[in-house]
Amino acid sequence: MMTEMLDCDAVMRQLWDYLDGELTPDREKAVRAHLAVCNRCHPQQDFEQSFLRALSASRREHSRPDTIKARVLAALRADGFAA
Amino acid sequence: MLWNQEPLKRLIRKVIGASPDSPTPDERFRDEALPHLPAVTRFALSLTRDESDAEDLVQETYLRAFRAWDQFVPGSECRAWLFTICRHTHFRASRREQRVVAYEDAELEALGAAAVHAAAQADGLEDVFSRMDVMEAIRAAVDGLPDPFREVVVLVDLEEQSYEDAARVLEIPKGTVRSRLFRGRRLLQEQLIEYARDAGLATQKRPDIAGEDISNDD
Repeated sequence: MMTEMLDCDAVMRQLWDYLDGELTPDREKAVRAHLAVCNRCHPQQDFEQSFLRALSASRREHSRPDTIKARVLAALRADGFAA
Repeated sequence: MLWNQEPLKRLIRKVIGASPDSPTPDERFRDEALPHLPAVTRFALSLTRDESDAEDLVQETYLRAFRAWDQFVPGSECRAWLFTICRHTHFRASRREQRVVAYEDAELEALGAAAVHAAAQADGLEDVFSRMDVMEAIRAAVDGLPDPFREVVVLVDLEEQSYEDAARVLEIPKGTVRSRLFRGRRLLQEQLIEYARDAGLATQKRPDIAGEDISNDD
């Protein structure tokens, strides 16, 4: 099957779905083909990707993970948890 | 009750036809639910925005999950199941109503992202997310998002849940996850670009169309 030809507008509308891996394989292929050759859409893809990477890296951990684990286990055992 | 209940449980499993060697429900809980403790803690922290409240919420979440363990469908996404319980527990405790978001259109939001990118380009801020230490600014911006957008951004972008799992956790349609996610991302980007401008990181020129006069003041 030939890859569907998409214009910039259609690619812009689906760019987040594409970056999130939420498109069907055919649609994903079509968006990828457009991005590979389009000087207008490609920079936006880079921009959004760097945003998503930074956002993902901003994940914040609790400062006392061991305390939480001990508390949860103690509460579970008091409730009959035996493993 | 302090006596060892394991022999009795083993006998019951034998009677109901389960193999005596198959893991007990408690063992399955230990192996399937407890490893998600760090993720549930992060999610709780994103809901409470307070470490001590998050601790209480995580403990309550795991107790409820343990008591409802027989309702967990084996093979389904345990992390999403725990997130759902965590969220219910939180909203029940804080007695907060979810604010209704007026109008949601994922397609329009997706196109809005192009506008944000164009604005960043115009200010020479295209590489803003990779060239400066934006972590604290991003955390502050995520904390400041209205609840309906923050929840979706946290689940999909920070906890790597699919649209479908996020929809299940939030009990909203998948299309609503999309539109809220895209709007949340746009709000974050706008705020971060504003932050970069205030921090003096904008070049105040348009490198891609150098020479073009963009001042219309005279």
